[in-house]
Amino acid sequence: MSVKEEELTNNSPPCASNSLSNYLWDDHPDENKWADCVHCGMCLESCPTYLETGQEQHSPRGRVHLIKSVAEGKLEVNEQFMDPVFQCLDCRACTTACPADVDVGGLIEEARGQVRQAMPLTGLKGVVSSFFLKGLFPHPTRLQAAGGLLKFYQKSGLQKAVRSTGALRIMPDHLADMEAIMPEIKQSVHKKYKNVDVIPAKGSSKAQVAMLKGCIMDVMFSDINESTINVLTYNGNDVTLPKNQTCCGALHIHAGDRETGKKLAKQNIEAFQDADKVVVNAAGCGCALKEYPELFRNDPEWHEKAEVFSEKIEDISKYLYDTGYIKPQSSINKTITYHDACHLAHGQGVRHEPRQLINDIPGVNYIEQPNADTCCGSAGIYNITNPEMASAVLERKMENVPEDVEMISMGNPGCMLQMAMGVQKYGRGGKVVHTVQLLDWAYQEDEKKGLGNKAASVKE
Amino acid sequence: MLLSKKKKQKLDPDILALTEIVGAKSILHYKEDLLSYDCDGFTIHKAMPKAVIFPKNTEEVAAAVKYCADRSIPFLARGAGTGLSGGAIPLNNEVIISLVKMKHLLEVDYENRQAVVQPGFVNLKLTNSISHKGYYYAPDPSSQYVCTIGGNVAENAGGAHCLKYGVTTNHILGLEVVLPDGEIIEISNNGVLDMPGYDLLGILTGSEGTLGIVTKIIVRILKNPEAKKTVLAYFDNVEDGSHAVSDIISAGIIPAALEMMDQTAIEGVEKGAFPVGHPDDIEALLLIEVDGIAEGIEEQIEQILTVCRNRNVREVKVARDEEERGRWWANRKTGFGAMGAISPDYLVQDGVIPRSKLPEVLERIRSISDEYGLRIANIFHAGDGNLHPLILFDSRIEGETGKALKAGTACLKACADAGGSITGEHGVGIEKKEEMRFIFSDEEIDAQTAIRDVFNPNNLLNQGKLFPTPSRCMDIKKVIKETAITK
Repeated sequence: MSVKEEELTNNSPPCASNSLSNYLWDDHPDENKWADCVHCGMCLESCPTYLETGQEQHSPRGRVHLIKSVAEGKLEVNEQFMDPVFQCLDCRACTTACPADVDVGGLIEEARGQVRQAMPLTGLKGVVSSFFLKGLFPHPTRLQAAGGLLKFYQKSGLQKAVRSTGALRIMPDHLADMEAIMPEIKQSVHKKYKNVDVIPAKGSSKAQVAMLKGCIMDVMFSDINESTINVLTYNGNDVTLPKNQTCCGALHIHAGDRETGKKLAKQNIEAFQDADKVVVNAAGCGCALKEYPELFRNDPEWHEKAEVFSEKIEDISKYLYDTGYIKPQSSINKTITYHDACHLAHGQGVRHEPRQLINDIPGVNYIEQPNADTCCGSAGIYNITNPEMASAVLERKMENVPEDVEMISMGNPGCMLQMAMGVQKYGRGGKVVHTVQLLDWAYQEDEKKGLGNKAASVKE
Repeated sequence: MLLSKKKKQKLDPDILALTEIVGAKSILHYKEDLLSYDCDGFTIHKAMPKAVIFPKNTEEVAAAVKYCADRSIPFLARGAGTGLSGGAIPLNNEVIISLVKMKHLLEVDYENRQAVVQPGFVNLKLTNSISHKGYYYAPDPSSQYVCTIGGNVAENAGGAHCLKYGVTTNHILGLEVVLPDGEIIEISNNGVLDMPGYDLLGILTGSEGTLGIVTKIIVRILKNPEAKKTVLAYFDNVEDGSHAVSDIISAGIIPAALEMMDQTAIEGVEKGAFPVGHPDDIEALLLIEVDGIAEGIEEQIEQILTVCRNRNVREVKVARDEEERGRWWANRKTGFGAMGAISPDYLVQDGVIPRSKLPEVLERIRSISDEYGLRIANIFHAGDGNLHPLILFDSRIEGETGKALKAGTACLKACADAGGSITGEHGVGIEKKEEMRFIFSDEEIDAQTAIRDVFNPNNLLNQGKLFPTPSRCMDIKKVIKETAITK
């Protein structure tokens, strides 16, 4: 007993109050965040779950109101409170719409932390969640092993067998939908560059950047990691993949497991200590890394480190845009539209840069889609935890994708899976690609034709 | 997953009956779900509804209304809940009839320049849906990104561009209404501007949800003006800014919009999400827009620039392009919400004054601010004399809410004393019902409640709004306190 108490006191950050009215745990939602909200309602139409339900408690200001009500003692942290708090996609569209910059995302994540402590997940949900969030994502080797299994599943003929026998029919619809669009698993950059310290720039080197491999990205979309490295080196960057890096923790923080989130954050802050710039190709991860200071708001020591760390984080498209990139000369003769990943547009304010990259590729017929910055419903693992709402949100999204596009470009792996599902489900054309892939393909053509970066840089 | 637990609780027969009408997915009745409906954009009073229902069509609205009317259950209609006078707050434990699921554009008739919308259709969506044909819907309240046209009809909403184009009532051509006994009626002027008989559209528009529930609306749509130019002017002192406003109007120009913000308001919008880079040491800025046929616009702009210069403007500029114009307007239109960046709470007032009285009323507001020790920002539809003092306060500080309310009343008194009115576009609601006495005598108020009684004889629909309740006002305040859940 006494040992436990001691542990608790030691663990609690120095200046945190330990509870606030009906929030019984430390790291509760921050009063200053909701004090900014004057209940004007300008967020309503930006919120996908409000548009779907029309219900206030599923709107940003409604959620803020409820979160505040718990602190005022009007409400308890119970299932009815949990529902709106966990129905939120955490897409941050409200943050863009809000005239007073209320940090709804931060409040939601803090509230989820309270919910998870008040009501730990039990039963199958608990097992599944703890398997993925604690047992899998934080451990690169296990993830790679899982990737290996998926690869085996695809290559061994098992996938073919499963698909042809109809074994998928016994799976819940949304999981079967996901299986159908699972990308082909290739070798991860984690494995490929295991013994390489620096991947050198092609031609003369102008900068050194570290890269976050990501967990899902490297297992499911290692070719995008590969493209990112190619594009970076092509543009004169030496690329390092610091060894101790781990999962960014976004999924944990979104799920209310802030403690694991903090552990992962600390590991990443240390792993990237020597880097001046950390380039990220997954919007969700980039946003989470940038928001580490929020995670440590009650812990001055780590807060300061997190501040320094978050300054280093840059999305690949913005990094290229800011530091200058070689314009490809080979054409991609396709009609392409761009989907704003929420955590890129709303989370990091990156909108213009990726569009510019796409438009700089010769031959591209770019079409802007209406409501390009509304959520696709992927939202981390939301499409697994809230399949019904996720598919409703996806349906709205697909209505906006122009019919005649050949490619849909974006900057986040979660969106890519979800949009691919949308394309398949609603019979839309359109191959789902990452923006850096487009650039990489054009560069590769240039190289084949001997129009490589050297020629281009001489021109400059 | 949650249903199993919900089912175990015993349900009120009224809830069961209403569920029968709208369906289980379209009703909320648990405390936790209802809590978000305890106020609208006016957050000073809070009260819990009995239930919230989301009818999908007129028939469901009528059936729910009839059910409530037959059993004397109080009820009210709600749109997006962005109203600033508390018109949708369930003071009497009402059943809230939320119209947000009736959100479709039913018909557009370009030839006759009209559109038919459901009440939950969002204001700006109308313009967005018809702009490709070169048309728009003129009334543009600052909340137009989210507010519903049904709510606009109830409040007779105005907006920045109402100076030239008029308020909502000038754009309503017909309504389908569910009366408080459940009867469905249609009123329309069929495009005839002066119909014989009483102007029922006029009575219903702006009745603040006390006469009936609007379920379908025919609105006028307008052709986009051929040209549009926007000017931003910074003044070192408010007097000069106010005189410039009067001078522009006296020069014979009718701008599409003529907006003013004072120093505190500028501080708020600059700290908000859409800063423009306004200097922090000016006392007033004017945002002036002229539109119309291309020929003549340049000349008007020249005139406006000259007026501003004659009034010692520090800096005046014309928007370079649509992007810049958009930024100026986003900064202005999110002005109320942006106050959150400089204050935890605000109370917005909505007085109207004769333009010429602006300097003296602003001076009076400044002394009210000193008197109550609360900062007051002013955002002002200067062209039509509609003033919005925003009283900044912190409800967490004991007694400050009460002070803010009193300061608000004092501002309205100042407007009424200057020969103006207590509301320009936000409605009376709960907020200003007592202040109705500043401009109406008891007889005049009685005459109006007599009209209400014709439509709403049992006063079940949106009770306790719009008019002062003579002897009972203290009681009501007590009820508000009791119903606001503090447990």
